[in-house]
Amino acid sequence: MVQFNNETRELSIKVVYYGPALSGKTTNLQELFKKIDPKVRGRLMTLDTKDDRTLFFDMMPVFFRTSTGVKVKLKLYTVPGQVMHESTRRIVLQGSDAIAFVADSRRSEAASTLAYWNNMLKNLEANGLDYRTLPIVIQMNKMDLPDARTEAEFGDLKEIISPMVVPAVAIRGEGVLETLYALLQLCYRSLDARIGLEGKWKISEQEFLACIFSHVDMRGTKLATVGAPR
Amino acid sequence: MTLPPSVLQAQATLGELVDLKSFGEVCQSFAELYRVGLKVFDAQGNKLVDVKVGNADFCGYIWQKPDGRAQCIATVSRVKSEEVPEEAKPTVFDCFSGCRYCVQPVVYEGDVIGRIVFGPFVPEDLVRLPQGLTGISKDFDEKLAAGYLQKIRRVAQATSEKIVKHFGDLVDVLVFTGHKNQLTARLHIEAMQESYRELQEKNRQLEASYAALKELDRLKSNFIATMSHELRTPLTSVIGYSEMMLEGLGGPLTSEQREYLGIIMEKGENLLQLITSILDISKIEAGRTRLVIAEVDVGQVLRDAVATVLPLARKKGVKVVWEPSPLPRIHCDRDKVRQCIVNLVNNAVKFTPAGGQVTVDARPLPGERVALQVADTGIGIAPDHLARVFDVFYQVDGSSTREYGGAGLGLAIVKSYVEAHGGEIKVESAPGKGSTFTVVLPVRAAAGPVMSPVGTTQVAAG
Repeated sequence: MVQFNNETRELSIKVVYYGPALSGKTTNLQELFKKIDPKVRGRLMTLDTKDDRTLFFDMMPVFFRTSTGVKVKLKLYTVPGQVMHESTRRIVLQGSDAIAFVADSRRSEAASTLAYWNNMLKNLEANGLDYRTLPIVIQMNKMDLPDARTEAEFGDLKEIISPMVVPAVAIRGEGVLETLYALLQLCYRSLDARIGLEGKWKISEQEFLACIFSHVDMRGTKLATVGAPR
Repeated sequence: MTLPPSVLQAQATLGELVDLKSFGEVCQSFAELYRVGLKVFDAQGNKLVDVKVGNADFCGYIWQKPDGRAQCIATVSRVKSEEVPEEAKPTVFDCFSGCRYCVQPVVYEGDVIGRIVFGPFVPEDLVRLPQGLTGISKDFDEKLAAGYLQKIRRVAQATSEKIVKHFGDLVDVLVFTGHKNQLTARLHIEAMQESYRELQEKNRQLEASYAALKELDRLKSNFIATMSHELRTPLTSVIGYSEMMLEGLGGPLTSEQREYLGIIMEKGENLLQLITSILDISKIEAGRTRLVIAEVDVGQVLRDAVATVLPLARKKGVKVVWEPSPLPRIHCDRDKVRQCIVNLVNNAVKFTPAGGQVTVDARPLPGERVALQVADTGIGIAPDHLARVFDVFYQVDGSSTREYGGAGLGLAIVKSYVEAHGGEIKVESAPGKGSTFTVVLPVRAAAGPVMSPVGTTQVAAG
């Protein structure tokens, strides 16, 4: 849950990349690491095993100050995908403000993707988080592979809630920024409704997103033409 | 259910992120390398490291003068807590003594978690001691102070900034590494705790369902025991009255009537035997069977048992061979052992085709034991069924059209009784050639609990 400190005027926001093993969660963070200006981000911390599989999580902090002097700290996490790390996934999910669910789009992965999706909803509930109101974006990753599902075929994930779906090829950096942008936009709106970002903290949606995305290499994304703020 | 707060939520302090002892050593060697003092504070202003190099005499001399002391304290306080920009860049602080400090905040993940104070050093361009220092007291010995100043290193401004930046980079790596290690270790523990909690919960559920199952099983055994008893009572009458009629107590009978009554009696006996077996096994399962141990002549028991089965064997055309041999008297439950032999011989006859042979044999074994053996020339048992023939209700041929009758209880009962005596039962078999069951009993059995053979098989397997 967003941590905010009125005295020091600080906001800490937690974003978690969730999904099955090898769906591309770490790849997302690595791409973001490449694209975000080192001035506004810290190191990418990866706790992995010898075989390059995520053991606990990856984490990258992004931080900025708004024009009204509010310090915003955004922490991006991934969860370990392998089935056996269930308890770690639950711990990392704790206090999330927004979730990117990274799905392997291939039809062959549909069953395990759905299982992880339901498992995530269960773990959110276990953490006292309401997935009906929590900002969640589904990233359909690996869209370049021949067996990939189309957006219309993702209905199985939309039975309980109906989150936005963003197509991606994370390994080529495609859709990675779009996912984060969409997620942070939802996240802003949810936080605004809860703690009054606009009214109380004097941070507009445009400024919130601009503070981050003006420090991001937007080349090759659709967002560049949409007009990255500032 | 909600999880306890994780280390991921917590904000770590500089002191927690580095190992203070080894960090102190790094600072010490760094300060010695550049021959300039070094201090490190955390965000709350606690001094974590303080290495003094070369300035002790100079500063000590100034400290002796009241004005000097006051101004020294003021400088130290500025260096320690005056605000500097929140980025990893050096800021210069000049001391009234002419010396200089270079200060850089430790910024981690966008937060200032401490500050590095490099100095005091003597700026390269300092020619003479400033008036502000020499005037702090009338008896200020300029020459002495200048001599002390020689012990403090002269550093060019650019160099000092480079050194501080270099040290800042070093601290950054230490902090990052420390944070990473801290998260790894703590998260490992948290994950273990969470898995443990989850396992405990599952264990509780399993225990509850196990208890429920055990209760159901007990109810089932009770029900069967009661039912068997209730079935046996009228059946005894059916058999008894048939027998009376056969003996002519009800008047003369035609030969057809005699034949029918014979069939009623025979089938009644079969049924009675089956019900008795069910009753026995349910008693065993309910833990209500007790051995009655007495000194027993095994030869006598074998003779009885063989005699019981002989009519069936004759009828089927199977030869039963038994050579009496001298055997020790043993302590056991006569009825149970007799029933074991009857069951084994019965089985042997049942699975041996006409013209075959069943051999009963007994011999003493070393270690105060006796082996009782029943061998047949019957159909035998396939190896993959061997381990399970002693399970309750287990039938090698479980199909509904099977050739041989029985409820699959005989061997289970034998095994329970034998093991309750502290003995064991073994089986060897070659399909198509025959089977040999060997019961080994101790000469002096202590009455053990008679346990369900399912349980004992599982324990043996585990």
